[in-house]
Amino acid sequence: MRTALILVLAALIVVPGAAAADPGVSSGSILLGGTVPLSGLASGYKSVALGAEAYFKYVNDRGGVNGRKIDYRYLDDAYDPAQTVQQTRKLVEQDQVFAIFNTLGTETNIAIRDYLKERGVPQLFVASGANTWGSDTNAIGYLPSYIAEGKIYGRYVASKWPHARIGILFQNDDYTRDLMRGLKVGLGKKAGLIKAQEGYDVTQSGVASQMSALKSAGVDTLMIFATPTFAIQAYVAAAKLGWKPKMVVNQVSSAASTMQIAAANAKEQVPGSISTVVFKDPDDPKQANDAGVKLYRSILAKYQPSANPHDVYNVYGMAVAYTAVDALKKAGKNLTRKSLLNAVFNLKETTNPFLLKGVVLKTGPRDHFPIEQAQLEQWAPSGRWVRFGKLESAQG
Amino acid sequence: MRQRLALAAVLAAAVAVVVLLPLAISDYRQLQAAGVATFFVAIVGLNILTGYTGQISLGHGAFMAIGGYTTAILTHDHGWNLFATIPVATVIAFVAGALVGLPATRLSGAYLALATFAVALVVPALVRKFDHFTGGNSGILIPFHSGHWLYVVSWTTAAIFLVLAWLILRGRLGRSFRAVRDSDVAAVSSGINPTLTKTLAFAISAAFAGAAGSLFVLSAAYAQPDEFGLLLSIRLLIGAAVGGLGSLWGVVVGAVFVQMLPVWAQGISKQAPAVIQGLAVILVMFLLPTGFAGLLRRVVAPLSNRIRNAS
Amino acid sequence: MVLLLAAACVALVIGSLVSDQFAEQTVAGLATGGIFGSLALALVLIYRATEVINFAQGQMAMFTTYIAWQLMQWGIGYWGAFVLTLGIAFAGGVALLAFALGAVFVRDWTFERMGIKQAGGGVIAVVIVTIGMLILLEGAAAWIWSPEIKSFPSAFPTRPIRVGGVAFSIQDLGTIGVALGSVVVLWVFFQFTKVGLAMRAAALRPFAARLVGVRVNAMLALGWGLAAVLGAIAGLMIAPTIFLQPTMMDTILIYAFAAAVLGGIESPAGAVVGGLALGVVLNLLGTYVHFVTSELRLPVALGMLLIVLLIKPTGLFGHRVVRKV
Repeated sequence: MRTALILVLAALIVVPGAAAADPGVSSGSILLGGTVPLSGLASGYKSVALGAEAYFKYVNDRGGVNGRKIDYRYLDDAYDPAQTVQQTRKLVEQDQVFAIFNTLGTETNIAIRDYLKERGVPQLFVASGANTWGSDTNAIGYLPSYIAEGKIYGRYVASKWPHARIGILFQNDDYTRDLMRGLKVGLGKKAGLIKAQEGYDVTQSGVASQMSALKSAGVDTLMIFATPTFAIQAYVAAAKLGWKPKMVVNQVSSAASTMQIAAANAKEQVPGSISTVVFKDPDDPKQANDAGVKLYRSILAKYQPSANPHDVYNVYGMAVAYTAVDALKKAGKNLTRKSLLNAVFNLKETTNPFLLKGVVLKTGPRDHFPIEQAQLEQWAPSGRWVRFGKLESAQG
Repeated sequence: MRQRLALAAVLAAAVAVVVLLPLAISDYRQLQAAGVATFFVAIVGLNILTGYTGQISLGHGAFMAIGGYTTAILTHDHGWNLFATIPVATVIAFVAGALVGLPATRLSGAYLALATFAVALVVPALVRKFDHFTGGNSGILIPFHSGHWLYVVSWTTAAIFLVLAWLILRGRLGRSFRAVRDSDVAAVSSGINPTLTKTLAFAISAAFAGAAGSLFVLSAAYAQPDEFGLLLSIRLLIGAAVGGLGSLWGVVVGAVFVQMLPVWAQGISKQAPAVIQGLAVILVMFLLPTGFAGLLRRVVAPLSNRIRNAS
Repeated sequence: MVLLLAAACVALVIGSLVSDQFAEQTVAGLATGGIFGSLALALVLIYRATEVINFAQGQMAMFTTYIAWQLMQWGIGYWGAFVLTLGIAFAGGVALLAFALGAVFVRDWTFERMGIKQAGGGVIAVVIVTIGMLILLEGAAAWIWSPEIKSFPSAFPTRPIRVGGVAFSIQDLGTIGVALGSVVVLWVFFQFTKVGLAMRAAALRPFAARLVGVRVNAMLALGWGLAAVLGAIAGLMIAPTIFLQPTMMDTILIYAFAAAVLGGIESPAGAVVGGLALGVVLNLLGTYVHFVTSELRLPVALGMLLIVLLIKPTGLFGHRVVRKV
């Protein structure tokens, strides 16, 4: 009896050793998994998974990566870290995924970070711009860091409006803290221009009183560091107050669809707003004939027909999926988690069709923020973003 | 006598299932089962308050947060042993429950519902506010454990608390709980102090939730305010109602329901998991308005009567 | 109580005359407070009739607002869609209750035939069902119309009018007007119409009402219909400010619930006063009390509310119910 048991155990140990492969990868397939909010308050962001899924299907129909088809499984975590942990452990232990990919949110990703590291499961291209992903050896972010974004605004304001009286409307959250830190660094000696800061909490029914306070403080240049719902409310509140400061709005809320809603209700406040952009805007008439935008439209129409093509998060999903495919290709035919991480930390991508022309995606042993540049843009009275200036460095 | 025997047999079978289950299921399933044990403890606690004492609470997620943060802070900042934190979490939640319960005894019905609702909203906000102590939005990470480890710890705790609940409810205190639930005035006339009794019920119930919060944070290996939102309190109330108020027999069914519903719902529809969840809650409550325990009463009682009559 | 309220009003007016910011904050607070009040009123109507807090009230309002949006997408003008939506909301509210009563009847009949004794689950079971409806409606709206935020037109222009140095939004003033208007209409309905009287009777003394020939179930259905209409008005009024999203009413409902309880859960006038008071207090707190940072605004407001409840456990306008043994 005992010998039999030992034999069985020995067999169990020997068999995976002989195959020398990590879980989730076979000669014909690669299994990736991740969580996104499919329900609840943040479910608007689920498009990052839908876009990625569509792109993987498109790649699979063209033979996959090194002959392997990508199977991407995403589960609902309702943006609750406790559920992220449960679902991620399901993906890792039950479904045996090769890597975790594109999980959305900062705290949700922090919740699974140590677990994945200890299990040796790579945590790829997390959808969060928190600074903390810049120094990890098992995880990597995708968005430019929020600090870098803040710096761009700071540099711009310091050089263009050196006498501004800056006010900040911010969501009480770690991400806006990073933005404000970057803003101060970017302003440099001009950091004293910041005259007023007003925070709001997501449990509030509006930001009207914060906007009124900022107006009373004599602010003439307003930073809106807020999520889309509240950014729109901020514009409307300004319109109600008859207040017309220069506006800077963070990238999280700068989707054209969001701005159009704001513009319809705050006709005098929205035009002239400044933001940054990294991904191609599917609604930009200047890019209507762009090959990347056309590819995006055709992939979405074929593989995710019920998705809204105007939703820029679909573009994001395709961009990050493109980079994942790139990394998997680079990791080679003998795909292991180690070879994948190696590839992920030595990427150089100049042709991602879903990023703005000229934006380079690069990582190195000391550079864990993939996207290198971003461009400033201004909302034109005609109701769309117009990019201007050269590409700005987006390094943390 | 026969009934006692049957009861013992059922309990022995339940214990056997809980002890032997880890041999049959994967480590991940054990993690899920640990989640069931966590909800089990919290729902038993809520049932003591709402089912046995007749006081509604929409804020038990807050007591779970208090317990959970006790465990997270003690292990992370003070290097405590994980097991030692569970009793401490229980005691702190007990005190918090008494503090909430004492003023809340003046309220009833919708007023009490709102007051407890407010507690559920306020605690996560305070956690965010005092971030040097609680880690704020970034939360507190603690070491994670295997599903099996969590299973053993959670179900052992659940067993201890089930016995505690049983002892409390069958004793004098339990009788005064029920007396207060049935009628304040009648309770007074039989020498019970309703204020004291309700406050105690609140505190005991919160203590259970505190222990459950400990287990919850052990499972997630992370304490973060978003985990303890309003939805958690509502899930507890749903679990208590599905299990059946005023009885401990159905609680495990309520715990399985709330733990597994999000998983099952997205298994049925990725497009609209919330629609499935809502429909499931409505249907279950519609078919079993007195919960699973009510069903048991209706099906088992006539059955055992029939057996008794036949023998 | 009336004196206290009058004093508060005078203080607000004096403050507004002294400070422009105070005036702006007060008016903005009254506007959001009016929304809380409308929804609180809907909660009160249902509570009076059935002793149930309808947790789905906010989501019902959200859903009807989406219906209005859909009607406008189909090319119906604003006011056409407005009236049609109120009609649909009313029919929906009535149908919902009729469906629920019918379903319960069928269930009990079936169980009886199967020989299973059926016991009612009481208020908690109904409350849980409304929570289920909340989850269901929110999910359904996200499914049908996508969770993305949508623009919603306003009945009133967003531009401000200036009185002295103070900018008042016409939209805010309009919202306050509609909220107060619907209360007056409702009050007249309950006070002076036969149906209104019958509804009050059915809510207060269902058995006695039935004896004198009031059709209690019909009155119940009417109550749900009216509550749905009030919710729809609240949704249509707030949507231009907070915009259309499946989760738009999540926080509003919390405040409406607080307003209803603050006023006394059985008092319609209390609900409206509670809503207005809450709106103004929240704004003034945030502006003038610097200790109250944004994370603390909700806790402090709720804390004040709890203090009010401890002093008056049945809200500002509630009466102590004397319970018999």
